[in-house]
Amino acid sequence: MSPRARATLQRCLRDPRVIGGGLLALLVAGLALFAPWLAPHDPQEQDLLSTLLPPMWAAGGEAAYPLGTDTLGRCILSRLLHGARIALYVGVVAATGAMLLGTVLALVAGYFGGWIDWAIGRLVDVWMAFPPVILALILLVGMGAGVNKVILAIVLIDWTRFCRVIRSEVLVVRRRDYVAAARLAGFTHVQTIVKEVLPAVTPLVITLFSLEMGIAVIVEAIMSFVGLSVEPDVAAWGVMIADARTTMNQAPWGVIAPVLAIFATVLAFNLLGDGLRRALDARLVTSRGEA
Amino acid sequence: MPGSSGSPVLEARGLTVSLRGAQVLRDLSFAVKPGEVLGLVGESGAGKSMIGRVIGRTLPQGFAVTGGSLLFGGRDLVGLEAEPLRALLGDRIAFIPQEPLTALNPVLTIGQQFGEHLERLRVPRGLRRDRIVSALTDVRLRDPAALLELYPFQLSGGMCQRVMIAMAFASEPALIVADEPTTALDVSTQAHIVQIIRGMQRDHRTSLLFITHDLRLASRVCDDILVLYAGDIVEQGPAREVSERPRHPYTRALQASNPPLGGTRRRLATLPDQMPGIAGFASLPGCRFASRCPIRDGACASAVPPLMEVGPRHRVRCTQGCLSDDRGLVPGEPLVAVPLDGRDPVLRVEDVWKHYAGKRDWLGRRHPGVDAVKGATVSVAPGEFVGIVGESGSGKSTLARLVMGLEDATSGRIMVDGVDVTANAGEARRIRLGALQMVFQDPQSALNPRRPVERLVTQVMEAADGAGDAERLARAKALMRETGLPVDLLDRYPSQLSGGQKQRVNIARALCVTPRLLVADEIVSGLDVSVQAQILNLLLDLRQTRGIGLLFISHDLAVVRYLCSRVLVMRNGEVVEEGATEAVLGDPRHPYTRSLVAAVPPEDMDVPWPPLAAAESV
Repeated sequence: MSPRARATLQRCLRDPRVIGGGLLALLVAGLALFAPWLAPHDPQEQDLLSTLLPPMWAAGGEAAYPLGTDTLGRCILSRLLHGARIALYVGVVAATGAMLLGTVLALVAGYFGGWIDWAIGRLVDVWMAFPPVILALILLVGMGAGVNKVILAIVLIDWTRFCRVIRSEVLVVRRRDYVAAARLAGFTHVQTIVKEVLPAVTPLVITLFSLEMGIAVIVEAIMSFVGLSVEPDVAAWGVMIADARTTMNQAPWGVIAPVLAIFATVLAFNLLGDGLRRALDARLVTSRGEA
Repeated sequence: MPGSSGSPVLEARGLTVSLRGAQVLRDLSFAVKPGEVLGLVGESGAGKSMIGRVIGRTLPQGFAVTGGSLLFGGRDLVGLEAEPLRALLGDRIAFIPQEPLTALNPVLTIGQQFGEHLERLRVPRGLRRDRIVSALTDVRLRDPAALLELYPFQLSGGMCQRVMIAMAFASEPALIVADEPTTALDVSTQAHIVQIIRGMQRDHRTSLLFITHDLRLASRVCDDILVLYAGDIVEQGPAREVSERPRHPYTRALQASNPPLGGTRRRLATLPDQMPGIAGFASLPGCRFASRCPIRDGACASAVPPLMEVGPRHRVRCTQGCLSDDRGLVPGEPLVAVPLDGRDPVLRVEDVWKHYAGKRDWLGRRHPGVDAVKGATVSVAPGEFVGIVGESGSGKSTLARLVMGLEDATSGRIMVDGVDVTANAGEARRIRLGALQMVFQDPQSALNPRRPVERLVTQVMEAADGAGDAERLARAKALMRETGLPVDLLDRYPSQLSGGQKQRVNIARALCVTPRLLVADEIVSGLDVSVQAQILNLLLDLRQTRGIGLLFISHDLAVVRYLCSRVLVMRNGEVVEEGATEAVLGDPRHPYTRSLVAAVPPEDMDVPWPPLAAAESV
């Protein structure tokens, strides 16, 4: 590892946001990955004799169901763990897709300017004028329900979020003399974009990517809440909230558990994103004591 | 009247400012008498702006006053409560900023901002408008009533600065702190602004603290001068005395590194290195200048020399015997004109125009555009140094970008070694970039902050894709040596370099392809004088060792005279005068060239400056 990379890594590991968010995200990812082995029950296994059990520490709770059960007597902990797999799958894939589409268009628009910039800019304007939830519903009704359709819908809606923000950053970087200097060093346009412009906007891309993962987790929960995402028999956080909604007054933990899971996951991504942005930005590395 | 009686308006007694134990300002004592101008002169980082920040309580985080006092009318500003201090600021003590455009609120009109200021000064609403108009008339702004409705961005920098001056004087303050008030302005504007500040200050008998990096300017504006180096006063005294008979080796070096506009061109004497950053102050126990001093001895580095009286009110912080003689003042050898053989020019620019189209409005009608460059013709022979002077907006930077192919010319031809490269693609681009390279104005912007120095100076080898790591490292080392940079900087990032080092890296990068002509756009304007001299000498050395040519774009006539044998004067996109540097600057024909020459403070203190004529035009 080069000294530069090591220094960057050290800076990342010194930031409490990166540590906190990273550990939390790792925890969620680990739980999701090992869900089949960690979960005490099959997420679909019904125990109609013990429905709406409270968590084990509450009065009437059972140790076999650490977080209690839902209306059909399914283990909430097991469903939570399996739900994390859906949430992370959608989060990572959808955010990656939106990032790629949005960033490439932003680089092209911001770097070349002129009519290309105009065209992409207007496309983003028109696209953003649709209310996102309506657009998602239209897309999903048109394409049919399903978790991959949800991912596609998120990519098609949220690339504009990347495109608009990153384009304005590219415009700033484009005016820096070092971009002109790279052209004078004989760089082609593609080389200039990849080696000079893209690294400058990478911290921003990473931040947006983390935020987008959080957004995608929420959107997936909403879509599975209204039954447009996974099949109804698959354990997803949105499905769990929908199922527990009717009995919320008698058994609030059925809603509280998935909501807390969503909260923790989104918080992890946001913390991580913000911490990384600060740690990766070489502009913030200054010699000590220069004023 | 300088030196007149009366208790001082502002007096520092042993004022000390520290950052984490290191003394940034050390034991500073001075006094500004009523109606006097005190100049604080020093390079960036010397601590000259700290005084203004102590007064305004705007010290950066971590900095604190750790000793001494700063008395304003007998009251210690350091210990004063926030509320009485706030009452003083803007009323009894006013500030004139460095960047007038950023100091004015862009979303309020001049009238609104000035009105707010007068409201604070409790001027009744009905009188404000008349007060503003008369204040703006005092700073010789034309048609002040119309200005009230304008926003700051609709005004030039010089006009904004006049508005700031008018606002500063509006409350008839006892003291005005002007921190580099002319640095961001054009040369001829600088002369006007200095004239106005000085005139207003005399009329109102206001005391002025004039903070600048420019010793020559300070000697013209100020009654007394105080030279700061790394937080220490190294020399203080009457302005004329200090500028005509500087005693401290640092003051002498400052003067020696500023090229003159007349007389024999001699190689500038330079100091080694540059002033250490604040972090380095703590490791300089004795005389802080000792490490760069040409006449130091062993005792200098261990004990802080006292300020010693060397003449009437003239004091110097030096223990060396140099105080009376001229030791350490070795004039550089005269520069000899380099003969040019009659070879074909490296670069020939023929009747080049650059037109920027106006924006279309929503009906598709096009607004009239501007011609940034109007038919410029320039040629540069191998090894020739050609200067282009002009003020901001004269089209000189656009011309540089056209030459480099960063912009496409609207019409005209650009030839490199007789080959037409106007097309700027394929083979033409290759030829152009092989022969011409550019050094950019602002090293901060020109160096990618994510690249370490090694990958910056050899960036050209990355494009070719053929060079291995070892070859790159060797090349980088050679370039570092050639531009006078220590090799251990290779893995540093630009943010870890000083301003002078950055500009050397900038030059090293341009040299990597062994170009035959460098295009340099204002490359020393952001540097301190002593570092500027080092960079200028480096360029002269490169002509010796590499036979390189230079197209040097600058607003600074003295620097152009030092480097260039031929000069072009540009105004509004046109070349208005051209010829051998000595002829053009010594006997300018075009009125514009004449006004540029007149705007430079002459060496001889008996010649009055600024010239009266300069102040009349806008």
